[in-house]
Amino acid sequence: MSKFMVIMKREYIQVVKKKSFIIGIFLTPALMAAFMLLPAWLAQKKATSSEMMAVLDYSGTDIGERFAKALEVYKLEDSDVPYYVVKNIFNVEPGDSVRFKTLDDSLKTEINDKKLKYFLVIKPHPQLSDDSVYVVTNSDNFTSLSRFEYRLSNIISSVKLEQTDINLPVDSILKLTRRIDLQTQNTKGEAIPFQIKYFGGLIFVMIMFGMIITYGSLVMRSVIEEKNSRIMEVLVSSVSPFQLMLGKIIGLGAATFTQVAIWVLVGVGIFFASGAWNLDISSDITRLVFNPMIVVFFVLFMIVGYLLFSTIFALIGSIVNNEKEAQSFIFPITMSLILPVMVGIHIVQEPNSTLSLALSYIPFFAPTTMIMRIIFLAPTVTEYSLFSGILGESILSFIILTVATVFIIWLTAKIFRVGILMYGKRPTLPEIVKWIKY
Amino acid sequence: MFLKLENIRKEFNGKVAVDNLSLDIPKGIIFGIIGPNGAGKTTTIRMIMNIIAPDAGKVYFDGREVGDDFKDHVGYLPEERGLYKKLTLSEVMIYMAELKGAPAGQTRERIDTWLKKMDLLEYKDRKVEDLSKGMQQKLQFVTTILHDPEIIILDELFSGLDPINMELIKNVLLDLKRAGKTILFSTHVMEQAEKLCDNICMISYGKKVIDGTMSSVKAQFGKNTVQIDIEGDGAFIKDLPGVTEMTEFNNYIELHLAEGAEPSEILKTVIGRVKVNRFEVMEPSLYKIFIDMAKVDPKASQRDDGGDNV
Repeated sequence: MSKFMVIMKREYIQVVKKKSFIIGIFLTPALMAAFMLLPAWLAQKKATSSEMMAVLDYSGTDIGERFAKALEVYKLEDSDVPYYVVKNIFNVEPGDSVRFKTLDDSLKTEINDKKLKYFLVIKPHPQLSDDSVYVVTNSDNFTSLSRFEYRLSNIISSVKLEQTDINLPVDSILKLTRRIDLQTQNTKGEAIPFQIKYFGGLIFVMIMFGMIITYGSLVMRSVIEEKNSRIMEVLVSSVSPFQLMLGKIIGLGAATFTQVAIWVLVGVGIFFASGAWNLDISSDITRLVFNPMIVVFFVLFMIVGYLLFSTIFALIGSIVNNEKEAQSFIFPITMSLILPVMVGIHIVQEPNSTLSLALSYIPFFAPTTMIMRIIFLAPTVTEYSLFSGILGESILSFIILTVATVFIIWLTAKIFRVGILMYGKRPTLPEIVKWIKY
Repeated sequence: MFLKLENIRKEFNGKVAVDNLSLDIPKGIIFGIIGPNGAGKTTTIRMIMNIIAPDAGKVYFDGREVGDDFKDHVGYLPEERGLYKKLTLSEVMIYMAELKGAPAGQTRERIDTWLKKMDLLEYKDRKVEDLSKGMQQKLQFVTTILHDPEIIILDELFSGLDPINMELIKNVLLDLKRAGKTILFSTHVMEQAEKLCDNICMISYGKKVIDGTMSSVKAQFGKNTVQIDIEGDGAFIKDLPGVTEMTEFNNYIELHLAEGAEPSEILKTVIGRVKVNRFEVMEPSLYKIFIDMAKVDPKASQRDDGGDNV
């Protein structure tokens, strides 16, 4: 067994057999689920009275009537009180845009005045385009929205089937009965169709950020511990500093991926079991998680991002004497990982803005920025180009990140071999520059 | 030569730490490097270990320049040493040996023998942090030699050891020498160096000032030393004719005689004034040589002690 493997194995086993590792495996997804489900659960709990809504049917069909009828099946918990009360169904003749506008405005006012919680808009030819049906609301109650989506999908599918000669191949029938992608708007008319994407992006970024910070700082701690216990010189008389550094980084990296792999396997397991358990997993999440481009680039950016940041952590570990000294260095690292999340709203709203592009090509920001951009852009792209668009940009960003990482590893190796044997005074920048040349 | 240093030189920030040092260390002997703090002992050893690169000169092991493959043939105990506190003794031993390329299975067979020799067998599955400082030193020593290296390099071997453990480790070193291993160590504890070494080299200011077998070094300094053990006040002795220097130790006095002075004349005078329990003409102790040589350079007293730069 090569010495690199010996170090890697030890670092890996050290972490994996710790109780905190096992607890982390269960606790992190539990916290994440709680974080996401709690607001929805709280929202559900609040529903002790019926929710008021209206339908603005501009399509000249009876879809609005049917929708209101379909909602009658939902009742408040343990009672016969309807969950949704459709106060009005406004049927506007197609073409009467003045009346539509007046009603639309007055309904929005009612929503802002909290007299109404939702109103559904059905524009002409709803069977042709998903954009023709949407809900206006200031609420983000997932339960209600997914109920509406489900009911509307059924109604629109029936309408389509009624209008069609049934004598069709299976493919066409499936096409007709496709579930619609119900979009929502707030009263200002802004579309918020990206909620799922935003949460998806947030989860991916949090996993990446959490893993890099947790395991990267373990690399640093491991180096500091070996410096402090004065075992370092014994080690470098047995292995080269480079073997030692890389053994640590890769060993702890393997532990990171063990943890993520367990989550992925459990997640996939739950997904496939969900049919049996009657869990309603949104089709959006499915499309997000099973999009090959998102999965592949998440793995690639996670691996190289981890290598980049854990190498920097190793560098810090080698030049400081204790963890307290290291704190001041950790802050910029945390910032460079979290900055894309802080400007995340901008990135998700303007994934192609100059700022979003610039962050993609700065190695320290690239992993988290790119994963958000890919999640927001990739699912809607129909044609991929290797040299332009999101795929081309992802590849370029990945190449820049990789080159920068190789450079940082090279640079760190030079500083590391001197730094690990320095005790006492923290080196100044000119001294470190001298080590690089040395 | 088994280990050969050829004109090695190292400077730190313009200060010369090791200056054109050449050493020949034959196979199968115990070789001691002595010298005051800051003389360049640790720097020399680190250059042998290839932990720091010499500015000039080369180090050869078995005829080849030392490189990464040398690391498996050597057992090295640095001056700055430590162990993983949270691991058990056997885990530490297996890991350290594995880093030297020794398979875990082979090490496992040796662990019990060594722990028994060091009186640590009952702690085998305890954590390192449960051991006393002295026990940790013994364990550290064992991890240095566990992979059965051909050459053993020990920097400040005796620091932190009590006399019983010193004796224990000294005996192990003699056993290893008998088994054909080469041992190189540095120390400023002269008594131990004197008891152990076949060859000795003293460095001061990075320069070699003495080099040779123990007996040849002592012969070089002549038989002009006398140790006496008296009862009463011996202060008058240093003024006797022929006595150039007197060093008082707790239990005895060491005299340095002028060239041609007759020891028996001094004995006669002393015996008439106080009770003499012992009077011995002897080779100079290494300690004396050490003090004398360190005094040679007038800058010696101005130097600071913290010479262990990288």
